[in-house]
Amino acid sequence: MRRLLLASALAGGAAGAWACGESLGAGRHALAGEGWQIAWRAAPSPVPVGKHFALDIALCAPAGQALPAALRVDATMPEHKHGMNYRPSVQPQGAGLYRAEGLMFHMPGRWELVFEWRDGTGAVRRLAQPLTVQ
Amino acid sequence: MKRWPALLATLLAALLAALWAAPLATVALPAVADPLPSPLHDEDIPRILAFGPWPPPLKPDPSNRVWDRPEAIAFGRQLFHEPALSANGRIACASCHQAARGFSDGLPRGVGLARGDRNTLALHDLDLQRWFGWDGANDTLWAQSLRPLLDAREMGGSLATVARAVRDAPALRQGYMAAFGEAPGPDDERVAVDVAKALAAWQATLRSGRTPFDQFRDAVARGDRAAAARYPQAAQRGLALFLGRGRCYTCHLGPTFSNGEFHDLGLPHFAEPGRVDPGRHGGIRKLQASRYNLLGSFNDDPARGTATSTAHVALEHRHYGEFKVPSLRNLRFSAPYFHDGSAATLREVLRHYSELNEERLHADGEKLLVPLKLNAQETEDLLAFLDSLNDTQ
Repeated sequence: MRRLLLASALAGGAAGAWACGESLGAGRHALAGEGWQIAWRAAPSPVPVGKHFALDIALCAPAGQALPAALRVDATMPEHKHGMNYRPSVQPQGAGLYRAEGLMFHMPGRWELVFEWRDGTGAVRRLAQPLTVQ
Repeated sequence: MKRWPALLATLLAALLAALWAAPLATVALPAVADPLPSPLHDEDIPRILAFGPWPPPLKPDPSNRVWDRPEAIAFGRQLFHEPALSANGRIACASCHQAARGFSDGLPRGVGLARGDRNTLALHDLDLQRWFGWDGANDTLWAQSLRPLLDAREMGGSLATVARAVRDAPALRQGYMAAFGEAPGPDDERVAVDVAKALAAWQATLRSGRTPFDQFRDAVARGDRAAAARYPQAAQRGLALFLGRGRCYTCHLGPTFSNGEFHDLGLPHFAEPGRVDPGRHGGIRKLQASRYNLLGSFNDDPARGTATSTAHVALEHRHYGEFKVPSLRNLRFSAPYFHDGSAATLREVLRHYSELNEERLHADGEKLLVPLKLNAQETEDLLAFLDSLNDTQ
């Protein structure tokens, strides 16, 4: 079963008073859906075109639900109908924190950053965020 | 009081003349004062600035322990012109990568011991590249430099013949010792890889020079209207098309005018009747199978600090028929064009994009590629812009 959660990015994508991922500091972006929350911050920031970047990610589960053991990160260019030329690696850092490396947006334009994991029932959960790079 | 109208007219004329002489500068003025057909706009400026500054400093290569050692650079230049490295003793790197042709050969497809499948790439600004060759089968300049030494259709040698040549020829032996601080040892593979690293050290120094576009770009960065105005109007219109309707900028970006990646342009996929050139798909497979990639033991950097691309590159079906986005600097030297040398001139390249056969694109190919349907003036403007990317040295 795959369940798509629509991202509810906070104003401008910045987290503001967002509780999830406070350790990522100011300037982090936030997503939420069905009680799940994600905050992420790119390094370097803003995301460059044609160069590798990494993401520090915090995933927060709804009350009563466990955090997943693994998180998957990917990105696509919906208008171009292709993704990245690189498959990011994601390393859990503990306490709902993850580090994704090896991402690259090789073209300027609108990308969609996708976070995907399985909840305690095995259902695929996903949050996606549009991101335009120049 | 009667002199005011005349004075105003004079000032207005002077203002209009100044605007006409510096069309880019009009972007900073209110729209009402911008009656000129300036082809460039405010939103173009960041993109224009991102094409420079030029030249950048030499980029370090920690995977090659001699990348900046003067003795290795000198040895690399010596090796580049050395036919003893080839199987028949008659072909050097310089046989195909000719200095007078921008280190290319002017042929549709390279010819060493036999005819190859692809156009000989010009050699400049190589330190700035992420992948090497039309298919990106190598992730370092030194691994790419080893490939033709061993390719049966190019120089046709082996690890043993390359190592033997360095051990046996006094001048090469001396050059090796100067570059690496020791005599060539008994390990053929180690010596051959060192030869490739010296070749890379020299080739990485081949930096293309400053161009009329670079002068324009820097003038824009300084806000120097007068200097920016010296950039030809046709080139400005071509640049506007490059950034605008042509969407060339989507792949040809940054200081080398390339994103360093691979795309399917709808060119024929056959190297010859009945034999497909897999392009990037084959390149990734070769890269991942290579003993000489950045994840292997010949990387001199224990931290593998430059191996991110190699560790994460994804092999997907869509990579069939993709070829590297080339630099657009110094194109005057590198005709014919495309990976298969199928376009004799830049005009033919533009015709390809203008009349693009969408049926030839993979079903999941780049959806941004559509026939540009360039008119004669637009073609001339784009050619003027591309010509401004040739260095003047």
